[in-house]
Amino acid sequence: MTDTQKPVKDMTTDYDIFDPEFVKNPYSGYTEIRESQCPIAHTERYEGSWLPTRYEDVVAIAQEFETFTSRQILVMPPVEGRSEGAYAGVAAPPITSDPPDHHWHRRLILPVFSPQSVAKYEQGTRDLCNALIDEFIDKGTADAAADYAQHIPVRVIATMLGVPLEMEPEFTEWVRGVLENMTDKEARIKAFMNIVQFFMGQIEDRKKNPRENDLITELMNAEVEGKKVPIEYVLGVCQLMLVAGIDTTWSAIGSCMWHMAQHPEHRKQLRENPDLWPTAIEELLRVYAPVTMARIVDHDIEFQGCPMKAGDRVLMAFPAANRDPRQFENPDEVILDRENNRHVAFGSGIHRCAGSNLARLEVRVALQTWLDRIPEFELVDQSTVTWVGGQVHGPRKCMVKF
Amino acid sequence: MCAIAAPEVFGSDEIGNAKVLITGEIPAALHAKVRRAESNCPERAITIIE
Repeated sequence: MTDTQKPVKDMTTDYDIFDPEFVKNPYSGYTEIRESQCPIAHTERYEGSWLPTRYEDVVAIAQEFETFTSRQILVMPPVEGRSEGAYAGVAAPPITSDPPDHHWHRRLILPVFSPQSVAKYEQGTRDLCNALIDEFIDKGTADAAADYAQHIPVRVIATMLGVPLEMEPEFTEWVRGVLENMTDKEARIKAFMNIVQFFMGQIEDRKKNPRENDLITELMNAEVEGKKVPIEYVLGVCQLMLVAGIDTTWSAIGSCMWHMAQHPEHRKQLRENPDLWPTAIEELLRVYAPVTMARIVDHDIEFQGCPMKAGDRVLMAFPAANRDPRQFENPDEVILDRENNRHVAFGSGIHRCAGSNLARLEVRVALQTWLDRIPEFELVDQSTVTWVGGQVHGPRKCMVKF
Repeated sequence: MCAIAAPEVFGSDEIGNAKVLITGEIPAALHAKVRRAESNCPERAITIIE
């Protein structure tokens, strides 16, 4: 039997992040681990990993980048024979970078994602959301995940990168290949190679025909200490933006839609008090944090009593940390005007999500536009909602009626 | 986060890093907002000196 088929004996010693029940609802499993004698669980599945579930531990691991390195950041080990860095030698700077290179790797892309820079995508995102709603508003029913959420971040990122919007289905398929169905190693490699080859083509094209106001051209021309950045860096940033910018935000939007479909009181609260939007978005991001990232232990260390060995994988379960009652009162409850909310949906420390301002904008605009046009809606049938989990958690089918 | 909670006091520089926009004492009218920024900063980067 493969790792995914064996029943889980004990969450603290044998958790399975791809167990179908856990994928659907990971929160009760996280709570079971968090409140046990072993709040940092361990499993032998998928070549082994540690799973810290308390806020304090997750944040400490995120902060201690020298002990918990970013050599690998996916929750699954790489495919054999490609053990160092990301696949095929193509890294994903800055997320797979450690200091000292991490500093310039990150600094070069931060301006692209500053609040001022991402604000220029707001109107385009709103137009896109309206166009998607136009497609189904007369039908009285829609898949809030597949007909709506899924299409928003991919088009925003493709616009930012200056790559063909009509390739949306391919981009979506490739990103799902890398981040979903992670147990299918061959599919992961194939999807990843498709992304790398696509961007190599885009870079080659720009070598011959540089473009104006084009992010990829600008990255290719960027200089650090008087020298042009290596082309591998440009390739890495492009593939990271595609992989990290699509599935994650789409999952967050999908989870928010799933929530709003079941909570008319929250729709009403936002309608009556639009000033609540910024804190409401943070609260939804806390409760439905989509992403779990991994770290590789640099050297043997005892962390909170756990004997971690060099090379061990540690899963930073941000969704678990965000529901730790030691940090958040009534953690499973959505309180749209929550006063204290130091959530870690975007991680913490030097690898804190570079695209968080864009993600916030997309989630807010997606929800606002939907609630403006379709103020009242509900789930068709909870039992038909499907989820993905592991690296990214969110709904993939979520039929609603209105 | 701080720029969301207290935009009068916190903004961002050209690369998107947070920065304080005003110098000296925080006006009393903004105290509540600044406290909220402090208690919501995921990096615990804000210290209020009273």
